[in-house]
Amino acid sequence: MVILETIDLNGIESLYVLSNRLNLNDVFPNKVAIWKVRNNNPLRKSYLNNTIKLNEFDALIKITVEMSRYLYPYIREILQSKEDHEGNSVIWNDFNRRFIELIKERFNIDSIRVKKLLNQAENDAIIIKSLLTLSFCISNQGGQKLKNYLFAF
Amino acid sequence: MQNNLLFHQSSVSLEIIGLPDYSNNENKDQISIISQWKLSIIDKPLIEGKFEHLVPIMDAFYIYSNLLIKNEIPLYESKLIDIKADNLHTHNIVLKSSKQNVKPLILKIGNSLLSDTINCFDQLNESQKVRIQKTELSNMPRKLRFGLNKKVKFLIMPPFFAICSIILFSSTFIYFYNSPAEKEKNELIN
Repeated sequence: MVILETIDLNGIESLYVLSNRLNLNDVFPNKVAIWKVRNNNPLRKSYLNNTIKLNEFDALIKITVEMSRYLYPYIREILQSKEDHEGNSVIWNDFNRRFIELIKERFNIDSIRVKKLLNQAENDAIIIKSLLTLSFCISNQGGQKLKNYLFAF
Repeated sequence: MQNNLLFHQSSVSLEIIGLPDYSNNENKDQISIISQWKLSIIDKPLIEGKFEHLVPIMDAFYIYSNLLIKNEIPLYESKLIDIKADNLHTHNIVLKSSKQNVKPLILKIGNSLLSDTINCFDQLNESQKVRIQKTELSNMPRKLRFGLNKKVKFLIMPPFFAICSIILFSSTFIYFYNSPAEKEKNELIN
């Protein structure tokens, strides 16, 4: 989701709009509810040890897939810009810079795993795999695919 | 007249040509008997084949993409197609012809074209108008498939061990058990 927020500058608002559009108001009645669920990630600065419920997990998956579908042209463009690095590296560099900014802002930078994300030499593979995962999950069955990928991590 | 369906994603399009199975009372715009398919990737040679090649090629792409994401060695090899990663951004595809004296077709595609191709195959898999042998199992990562087996093992193994340990534990009492006949015999001796 951080990857999607890196692409969409107004990511938090978009997540909430998509949640409403997918009729997930009962799971996420407001933006704070989404924020709380997302803070189950122990790498975050504001980590909250809540047990994530199955319906919340499913709702997050649905929102992620829907947002990936909307942002697919951008995801594709970023992947492509990394392929022909010499010709069109501006998009990749901008994306990487903003990703690092977001990580610094929201994640616990003392964690070794977060340090890996911040290291430009090491984070390429992580970012590319995350972008590929999102780009493979834009079909109608994308939610199930994304779950399978997440369980395999 | 054959039906023609096109699945398109950015720079890749997949064309399916075939006929409906009228013996199954299918609609005239349905395709159940695929006679030919064509995969066009911009700036790359056209890939085409018969139905029997389509599912193995789709499986190859799905398995390869799973390996790629799961940090396993991204390498898929078969009689028909080999896919391996040259680096983080380039994938080397070797398509081998079933005809003799035909050189294999070698393609290099990037991540963007790989995801376009996977999405075209997804569209085909989800299409109501084309009936093919679905490749759901290949979409499932191998680890998860193993995970399901593991779950089954976890369901079976505890009762199995419990029964075994009860048998083992109770079998030791055979040595301490005095049958009534033996008791009587001992009493007579005394």
